[in-house]
Amino acid sequence: MAEKTTPAVSLRPSGASLSWRQFKAIVRKDIVMELRTKEMVTSMGIYALLTMVIYQVALSQAGTAFDPRDIAAGLLWLAFVFTSMLGLNRSLVHEKDQGCLEALLLSPVDRPVIFFAKAAGNLVFLLIVQTLTIPVFAFLFLQGREYGGDLWMIPLALLGGAIGIAGVGTLLATMSVNTKGKDFVLAVLFVPLMYPLLLAAVSATSAAVLGGDGYVQQFWSSMALVAAYDVIMLGAAFALYEFVIGA
Amino acid sequence: MRQLKIALVLLLIGGVLTTAAFVMAFTTAEMQRFGTVTVPEPIDTAFPLQQVTEAGYTYERPWFSQKIFYFHVPVAEASFLVFAVAAFFSIRFLMKRRKEFDTKARLAMETAIVFVMLTMITGILWTRAAWGVWWEWEPRLTTYFIMTLMMIGYFVLRNSIEDEERRATYGAVFGIIAFINAPISFFITRLIPSSHPVVFQSGFATSNLIPFILGQIGMLMVGYAIYAIRASEERLEERVDVLKDALEG
Repeated sequence: MAEKTTPAVSLRPSGASLSWRQFKAIVRKDIVMELRTKEMVTSMGIYALLTMVIYQVALSQAGTAFDPRDIAAGLLWLAFVFTSMLGLNRSLVHEKDQGCLEALLLSPVDRPVIFFAKAAGNLVFLLIVQTLTIPVFAFLFLQGREYGGDLWMIPLALLGGAIGIAGVGTLLATMSVNTKGKDFVLAVLFVPLMYPLLLAAVSATSAAVLGGDGYVQQFWSSMALVAAYDVIMLGAAFALYEFVIGA
Repeated sequence: MRQLKIALVLLLIGGVLTTAAFVMAFTTAEMQRFGTVTVPEPIDTAFPLQQVTEAGYTYERPWFSQKIFYFHVPVAEASFLVFAVAAFFSIRFLMKRRKEFDTKARLAMETAIVFVMLTMITGILWTRAAWGVWWEWEPRLTTYFIMTLMMIGYFVLRNSIEDEERRATYGAVFGIIAFINAPISFFITRLIPSSHPVVFQSGFATSNLIPFILGQIGMLMVGYAIYAIRASEERLEERVDVLKDALEG
């Protein structure tokens, strides 16, 4: 916590520490709001739970010989895609309806800081929902199944995917919230843009769940793809956010 | 009006060139071969008899479905190129904030979507003939499909915004971010194993190259013509709007 001591010394804090404090303030605002209303995590969590029910229906005719581990990673990410679209839309609708986004724009905060703070807030909520969903999913679908890979691989794959979803999703949700179609427009823009990331994240998660021959290699090559996507897309989203939020 | 005249001339030349390419593909272009085929009795064919076994007479198998190459590839490359033009004008718009760049980006995107649809149709026909299936989730096909969805998304986004400046800005931002996928789709067959052929790696006879180049140039001319004709239509629409305002005001 070296940051806390520096601002007290000089009256005008340097750019970096000022941006960091603004970043923390916006993230804290989102978290405090969430702690008071508990709206995002509840709605996303219940939505994820409902998805599990639908999975049960979808798999109900598959029989006993079928191994749900084969598609477990895909099902998990499917649930995360839908819940994250719900959450992203909510997170920006709040900002807009309550005039908070305008206040943020009026305040002397750099636009990139707003982007990273909103994305970080969305990332936190997404990670919370993921942490809640995974045990439920394992309990409902993977009981008594042997687990193939290393345990630490799953959180890593989830984090890599969540970073991309939060980054690109924040940019797209900021746009879609200003359109007539709102959540529909978000879905139309979000799903194709997310495709490469989802493919890589599902591959990494699947390697971690299934294990088997060469799963470590499959995991790391998929994670390299996830990392490349995160870097490129976050860079693009960061560069373009200023135009979006100003319009 | 001059642009429209040039466009019409280019449309004509482009039409002639692509038709010439089409005809040449079936007449002068060297026939591609695709493995061998064994028939029980000798047949009259331009391909030499390979061998005679108990199973029958073995000939080289002509690959007729390959002919769509002279249409499919020029159209596909034109689609990438016009998409790049749309992304370029999107960047110009964000830099200069002038309405004309937004219009140009939108028109280029419209032209690109025409080529994308043609690529999809010709591609699906070829896939059925060569692979025996209408569709396969194969890297090139998948990334190209995603690209198509993004272009559709571009217009969904635009149609869903009423404010003109915001529509232009959001359209430009999404146009740029969607274009990131285009080079991936273009190079993916060269990077990871894919059943989509990469023709230019395997070498090319001159008799094949000439119709291909003619088709490519012709297709780009047609592309520019579509774009320019739409642009002149757009200008007329704007003039009508101005006149309407003047009459009503």
